[in-house]
Amino acid sequence: MNFSMNLILFLNNLEGFFFGSGKAHVVTGVAMIILGGIAFSLWRMDRRLTRIENERNDNPS
Amino acid sequence: MSNWNILWKFGGILLLAYVILRGFCTPLQPGLVEATPDRLGPGPATLELMAVGRPFAEEGSSLEGYRLILRSGTDLITTNLTGVSPHGVQAEATIPDRLPSPALDAFLLPPSSGTLFLGNAFFVEGAATGTIPVELASKAPDETIPDLGFSFPFQPNIMESIRNLLWHVPMWFAMFFVMGIGFVASLMQLRTDAVNWDHRAEAAVRTGLVFGILGLATGSLWARWTWGAWWVSDPQLNGALVTVLLYTGYLILRAAMGEDERVGRIAAVYNVFAFVMLVILLMVLPRYTDSLHPGKDGNPGFNSYDLDNSLRAVFYPAVIGWGALCYWMYTLRLRINRMEHRLLTQ
Repeated sequence: MNFSMNLILFLNNLEGFFFGSGKAHVVTGVAMIILGGIAFSLWRMDRRLTRIENERNDNPS
Repeated sequence: MSNWNILWKFGGILLLAYVILRGFCTPLQPGLVEATPDRLGPGPATLELMAVGRPFAEEGSSLEGYRLILRSGTDLITTNLTGVSPHGVQAEATIPDRLPSPALDAFLLPPSSGTLFLGNAFFVEGAATGTIPVELASKAPDETIPDLGFSFPFQPNIMESIRNLLWHVPMWFAMFFVMGIGFVASLMQLRTDAVNWDHRAEAAVRTGLVFGILGLATGSLWARWTWGAWWVSDPQLNGALVTVLLYTGYLILRAAMGEDERVGRIAAVYNVFAFVMLVILLMVLPRYTDSLHPGKDGNPGFNSYDLDNSLRAVFYPAVIGWGALCYWMYTLRLRINRMEHRLLTQ
């Protein structure tokens, strides 16, 4: 049983990655950090655009 | 930002956070993947079956309520379970010297996890063809209602990679959504010749391309794990690639025409053509041909075999979340386009 289990883990790394090892939580953490980074950069870009748009509306020339 | 803007933008991000948490931390339902020995002869045999996904038993739990049944043709063969572990069972069985088929399917019936099935689990050599003796036959199991908890379905070959459904498919939906906006904008551009519609179309195509490339990348990764190759010559996959190349052509066309005043109308005509090709290549042609890709070959989309309720509870928020993120990116690009235009025309 152990041999075949190890064989499956060897042949299919993805199964091994999640196989009760707790690595799924690492993947979740990394994905959350990436999502947070994307959200922050979009929010910052949104704010900058709003500020520039307001400035140009107040002072069209 | 107005309250409504904050709601849909950060609501989308919160939905995606939920999708990530649920998508990666939800266990997979148990499924049988390995049987040893794979070849048997008539007579007594010791069998072992291994499962992946959520454990169907606790360490050291009793055998009460567990059954393992072998099937040859339509005949059922009884077994005697000797051990149960969180991801495996051991059993003793007497393999009959007469069998309807040399291939044996295995059905494991834990008390609460539903029936686990492994087709062609064992192959019997040296047995004659015939019905099995009555003393070795097993009666069919009673119908039970499994308590699976919140877990994703086990699909052979796909296994843990089923979580990619929450990324790959909504990314294509988001691409369709924003390319649809671009299509309408191009039609309006042709009708009114207003530069505002041209800005919308260009922003939509740029954003849609990002999601198209992400869809291709996640699809290719999924193909590697389930089909064993990064790319296979499949109508769906090739259609997706051609679509992305077509829309890349849109951006190249715009860049090549530079400040030519006809760029808006010519690009709009191209975009209408590209969207029609998108529908034909991704939604029409693959359904007329055999395909490895699910939802093809006459099947219009997902059905009860592809999605169960636990997966739906994460998949639908993923569609809304990715759609909201895509639309946010589109609006930002649109505002940049408008600002560039204002600066250039002042």
